[in-house]
Amino acid sequence: MAGKSGRTIDATPKTSIKSRVLSWESGLIVIFIAVLIFGSIVSKSFTFSNVLREMPKYLSELFMMYAMGFILVIAEIDISVGAIVCLAGTMTCFANRAGAPLIVQIIVCIGVGFLCGCLNGVIATHFQELPTMIITLGTQIIFRGIAEVSMGSGGSVSLSDTMGFAKIGGMVGPFPIAFFLIIIAAVIFIFVLSRTTFGRKMYAVGSNRTAALYAGIPVQKIRQICFTLVGTMAGVCALFLLATSFGANTTTGQGFEMDVIAMCVFGGIATTGGKGNLVGATIAGFTIVCLRIALGQLNMSGQTILVIIGILLIVSALIPGINQSVKNRRKAIAAK
Amino acid sequence: MKKQVVSVVLTAAMAAGMLAGCGSSASSSTSSTSSASSSAASTSASSAASTSSSSSAASTSASSEAVASTSGAAGVGEASGKYALVPKSAGNPFNEREASGFQDALKALGCSDDQIIVSYPDNPTADSQITVIQSLISQGVSSIAVAANDASALDAALKQASDAGIKVCTLDSDVDADYRSVFCNQAGVKEIAQALMDAVYDISGGSGEYAILSATSQATNQNAWIDAMKQIAESDDKYADLKLDEIAYGDDEAQKSTDQTQALLTKYPDLKVICSPTTVGIAAAAKVLQDQKSSVKLTGLGLPSEMKEYIGDDDSHSCPYMFLWNPIDLGALAAYTSVALVNGTITGAVGDTFTAGDLNDGNPYTITENSDKASEIILGQPFKFDPSNIEEWAEVY
Repeated sequence: MAGKSGRTIDATPKTSIKSRVLSWESGLIVIFIAVLIFGSIVSKSFTFSNVLREMPKYLSELFMMYAMGFILVIAEIDISVGAIVCLAGTMTCFANRAGAPLIVQIIVCIGVGFLCGCLNGVIATHFQELPTMIITLGTQIIFRGIAEVSMGSGGSVSLSDTMGFAKIGGMVGPFPIAFFLIIIAAVIFIFVLSRTTFGRKMYAVGSNRTAALYAGIPVQKIRQICFTLVGTMAGVCALFLLATSFGANTTTGQGFEMDVIAMCVFGGIATTGGKGNLVGATIAGFTIVCLRIALGQLNMSGQTILVIIGILLIVSALIPGINQSVKNRRKAIAAK
Repeated sequence: MKKQVVSVVLTAAMAAGMLAGCGSSASSSTSSTSSASSSAASTSASSAASTSSSSSAASTSASSEAVASTSGAAGVGEASGKYALVPKSAGNPFNEREASGFQDALKALGCSDDQIIVSYPDNPTADSQITVIQSLISQGVSSIAVAANDASALDAALKQASDAGIKVCTLDSDVDADYRSVFCNQAGVKEIAQALMDAVYDISGGSGEYAILSATSQATNQNAWIDAMKQIAESDDKYADLKLDEIAYGDDEAQKSTDQTQALLTKYPDLKVICSPTTVGIAAAAKVLQDQKSSVKLTGLGLPSEMKEYIGDDDSHSCPYMFLWNPIDLGALAAYTSVALVNGTITGAVGDTFTAGDLNDGNPYTITENSDKASEIILGQPFKFDPSNIEEWAEVY
């Protein structure tokens, strides 16, 4: 792939069948199947219907994962999403207790997420010298603070009318409703990132922001849209979380930001930006969910599960690096 | 091309490693559970015999206790299902003693290791407990005994459990009465609040400022006790000269509880007494007060083994006396209740009676109604630990 200048362009997408078969995503599918086989060997409760029934609790996080994938692709990070989930959940509980109709509660939930994401975006685009890690660290404390203050001394608030949310958390046959929505969201997000000019622009911003700017890409507009989107999806996450927990407390959403970033990284999206896709992230998300369910059925302690997932994550982050160094060494040998 | 092969091989190796890792850790965790429960057996045995002070007597009576329990089991029937306990959090000594009491009682009823499931949530939150409960439903257990981290967040999960035919009871910290059969209460809310309020009154000399160091702000039992303390303080003129400065929350984390204690000391120079109705909080506060040689005194609910070096009447000790119930007995009561519910000996309705091994000196427990018209079983009165008995109890739990 050497151009006229003799330089190689590594980032050019490869589309040959061979490269598809041997891609990170196919590796993930192998791991996913391995997890399923492992689950059914170690736990006889690891059946299709049981896994689907246990899933909604974890599925809510996947909504955020797609938008977080966008954020990582443009080489940003948002660690305030867990706090947004907490704030959106809290406000929705208050709306519920005030007797608002279900549609208003849904609007409140997603609306709070939208506003929080918008705020992150406005700060990020107007104070560009600030790293987004610091911005969202600050807004995280603010969002969680507002939620905690409004919850008052009890530290928790619950839904008074759970009818509507019980429906949202309901099942169609063996499938939870959230499962279908996750699939729809997956299709939309994957399409936007891989098949639209907007998606290409995001990769451009993530690969080299200055070059993207000179190429006429509205960098700040794209950042604003991505941050707003991840906030909105955090609101959606809060909605489905409420449908399983029927209430919010000061610890709601704690650690979610790290969970979704972990899923993205495991799915092959680089935190340095411009690399990876959401197909990988989706498979990785479901792999982690199924692994957690399987290990949970062994009554393994939660901490042990986290250790295993942590190891998995570090190994998966290392493999591209090892791959690269092998490639470099081979080049060096070839050059001699 | 070769590099891609390498990456596939690495991926496969990783998957294989993961499988191997999971497999071995699963088996090792099972073995560690069994060893832990066997060591717990001796702990509980000695607690049962704690009235006789010599430890040799405790070990010899271990076998007789098992026999007594088995004969008393007629009260709840055969234990043939799978019984699960979901404690509040891992790494909390109080929860671990509850779990050991639960395991022992079931073993005394003839349960094997794989009939007893103790499943700790990964965080001390209701959200994590939901995950655990969902997993237990999948495993098709017969009963779930849960110490709830939130009064209402577990409702949906527990309803699913009930719908799946699983008997649900709570211990230590309750949920909404509609979603469980019965609550195993360690001691009546009023009795605990009265004991704590009287301790504050006594230690402060009848007047002055005091503060409360609680666990998390949403813990059901903590809030019930604190509310009851406030009511007692308002309803009786005896407590009119006592002023509650602040309710601080240490989230049952040692470091945060330490920080909160220090903040209380800085903010309120006239503070006389800190009351901490949580085992983690009282231990952290005791260390801070004693290290700083503070004149502020401490009382509350604490584990004797953790509080041994802080309990004393003189100025070099920070805590004159404190209270607790026996977490081992509470766990055991939850176990007997679970078995009785599964066998239909009790339904959880007010007025049902059953004998729980040699708990309550072998006398039957009766299900009573609490102030919220919900059914509960009260384990007994809170027990006072002071310099005269702390040495003896510190060896028990």
